[in-house]
Amino acid sequence: MPVAVCAPALLAALLAGAPAGHAGDDLVVYSGRAERFVQPALDAFQAESGIAAQVLTADSTALINRLHAEGARTAADVLITNDAGSLERARELGLLRAHAFPGLETAIPARFRAPDNSWIGLSGRLWVIVYNTALADPGALLSILDLGEPAWNGRIAIPAAGSVYLQTGVSVIRAVMGDAATTRFLRGVKRNAGSFVFEKNRQIVAAVARGDVAAGLVNHYYIHRHLAQHPDAPIALRMTDQGERGMGLILNAAGVGITAHVKREHLAAAQALVKFLTAPEGQLLFAHANKEYPLNPLVPAAPGLPPLDHVRIADVRLDRLADLRDPTMTVIETVGLR
Amino acid sequence: MALVLMLPLGYVVVAAATTDLAVWRRLWTTRIPELLLNTLSLSAGVAVVDLILGVSLAWIVTRYRFPGSGIWDWLLMLPLAIPSYVLASAYTHILHRDGTAAHLWRLVAGPDASVFSPFSFAGAVLVLALNTFPFVYLLARSAFQRFNVAFEETARATGAGRLAVFFRVSLPVIRPSLMAGLFLATLYVASDFGAVSLLRFQTFTHAVYQQMTGRFDNAAASCLSLVLVGCAGVFVFGERRFRRQSRFYQTTGRYRPPVPRPCGPAAALLLNGGLLLVFMAAFGLPGLLLIRWTVDAVAAGEVSPGFVGHMWNSLSLSGLTATAAVVCGMPLAYAATRRRTWAGTLCAQGAYTGYVLPGPVAALAVLVVVSHLMPALHGTMLILLLACLVHLLPVALQGMESALQQVTPNLEEAARSLGARPVQSFRRVTLPLVRGGFASAWILVFVQCMKELPASLLLRPAGFDTLAVRIWLEASEELYHLAAPPALLIVVITIPVVLLWSGALAGPGRRDTRADADAADADADGADADAAGATGAPSRAPTGRRFRRSP
Repeated sequence: MPVAVCAPALLAALLAGAPAGHAGDDLVVYSGRAERFVQPALDAFQAESGIAAQVLTADSTALINRLHAEGARTAADVLITNDAGSLERARELGLLRAHAFPGLETAIPARFRAPDNSWIGLSGRLWVIVYNTALADPGALLSILDLGEPAWNGRIAIPAAGSVYLQTGVSVIRAVMGDAATTRFLRGVKRNAGSFVFEKNRQIVAAVARGDVAAGLVNHYYIHRHLAQHPDAPIALRMTDQGERGMGLILNAAGVGITAHVKREHLAAAQALVKFLTAPEGQLLFAHANKEYPLNPLVPAAPGLPPLDHVRIADVRLDRLADLRDPTMTVIETVGLR
Repeated sequence: MALVLMLPLGYVVVAAATTDLAVWRRLWTTRIPELLLNTLSLSAGVAVVDLILGVSLAWIVTRYRFPGSGIWDWLLMLPLAIPSYVLASAYTHILHRDGTAAHLWRLVAGPDASVFSPFSFAGAVLVLALNTFPFVYLLARSAFQRFNVAFEETARATGAGRLAVFFRVSLPVIRPSLMAGLFLATLYVASDFGAVSLLRFQTFTHAVYQQMTGRFDNAAASCLSLVLVGCAGVFVFGERRFRRQSRFYQTTGRYRPPVPRPCGPAAALLLNGGLLLVFMAAFGLPGLLLIRWTVDAVAAGEVSPGFVGHMWNSLSLSGLTATAAVVCGMPLAYAATRRRTWAGTLCAQGAYTGYVLPGPVAALAVLVVVSHLMPALHGTMLILLLACLVHLLPVALQGMESALQQVTPNLEEAARSLGARPVQSFRRVTLPLVRGGFASAWILVFVQCMKELPASLLLRPAGFDTLAVRIWLEASEELYHLAAPPALLIVVITIPVVLLWSGALAGPGRRDTRADADAADADADGADADAAGATGAPSRAPTGRRFRRSP
């Protein structure tokens, strides 16, 4: 090859030397959560402890597949995801490390942790109905399953089958209602949504706000995010499945775990980070940044969020989400959702 | 080497073969027929649009002379600098039902009219065709430029009309170049996942990505990949068969390049208008949007502080991948064009599989293979480099093989008969002639690698975010103003590279350095030698000057 072509490549290679070898002393965090909701907490942690962290942001499932493939040679010390089912799956695969520290029991309630604390929930996220206040009557929406009724034909928007939130939500419905009712619900939802199937929750909220559809299924904070930008948008959150015999709201949690193959010299720092994220300061930065519910009961929900104190939550343990997920995917695909 | 490159394919085959039959049955009843139809019709639709756009633009630019014709020559290459996912998000914005296009259209067609939705077959064809037509345009243009006008003149002299000459002489003669362009475009469409996932159009690659990010086991993803690779294998095989059957060498020493015809002012206006329309659709409008979003981001002080680092990561990864692809591709391309042994052919065919293997699967396969065979590479940039190499080597091979094919073997044989060793003859006869082709291969890999997404997403070491990764992370949160600065930077960095490529492809006749003049001599002499060889006359030694200089 001519020198003219090789030279820039070699130059680039030399220049690459510095960033390519990531700093060996930094904590390495694999994160399935958007960087802008993780970085503020990590910056605060660095300011407090002097420990810096390198973040690798990617899709949660892809990160777990990667951790699995990397095995003992992984660079990751800490795993953060937005889905407790993914964390539990990582635990089942032996990718996380059990640990405990004084004060954990009071910081995060047991139902938001793995039994051996190999992962710890940090913030709660509800899968709810968003509706257009001009187009939908909230009184007609007592249960999330109502969206499968013929009355909603052509009037709802739903997430794509690849959405972890959809998978979690359907898993919870299956666990409570059984396969037959779930299949009926999904068939109805597929018909009612038509082509209003979106990859992004934000698109669903926008479609509801524009009036393209009357209602949609989203994580709660997308509604608040939209209202923060468009305070006059005619949308509202509907809390369904309440009452004596209601299923309860579907709650998932973002959480954190220390990897099984954490570098020995990083273990103390990784534990310090987990402790920081469960403490009030970390909870505020982690959960409030995205209008999620802090799971530490000492930390209040962000202003504007409906309080969860007297709200019924579906009684499906977070650590069951992992096992529920594959059969749920099969049901979703059999129905033919995309 | 080729074996290493075929490992990902082996991984997919093994993973798919060990998959439960129930998974296959479920996929067959729920996904495969739809995906097959979508993928094939999208590829075909894009190919048709590419062909029409590419050939007509190349014809206009090479055969007509009008004010501005020189600028279009290179402006039409710029769409290659825009990543497909950036173009797709620009069009979802432009064709938004409350967007400017919709408002303008309503003024024309009444208040109830609506623009067509980008989230459709037509939308996917539009975006991907606007993104890939330069492949066909570039190769058609350089073929038209190298075209020996004597062919057309002969046809005209024997009474054929202009249209008949175009369809029965000009087009058939540049057929290998058109096929090469369409080949690149089609593989690009089949392996694209950024644009189709943004436009919610279900193709195999999109479905594989969904399966991989939605499930913990990759069985279903591997099955779908295998079907895709099977289709692509048939396509690659067909293309090579076609190419073997239609191999053209310039057969006369009396080569004359085409002379562009001058146009009147009305025709010039029309041509400029048409070219401007295509250019704005494929590059101008999305470029302006990127600039606007970037200005918004800068004004709001939201540009990421790690920006310069991301830029260096992208540049170094692309530079290394391109260099590695050309170095590794050289023996493979040579084996495929000159030594027609089954092993050589298999090597070259095998390398092509990396391109059609969906990016995420290629990356995962490399990861698994590396962790078993070369664990030391873990968490380093080398593993990412390897995945990019596996994925993009076919791009280099395609260009290098075309270049090698245009050098008649007689030249090398002549050098050998004058006492040059094989290595010597390659270095001193073949290499100078194919240098342009090899440089363009390097550049093409570089550009593709700048835009590469799935492998970088899955394999980058922590702290090694590239520009493309940053765009994806921000765009998947729909924070377009944050995604715009790195997107604009990719476009800006890629533009000179694309233009350099056009220079490399423009052929020997367009440059005037001493070495190129030599190469041009050799080209003409080689053509003579070929013709002479065919008629049984003694061949002349090529580029006598060069050989006289050395003992």
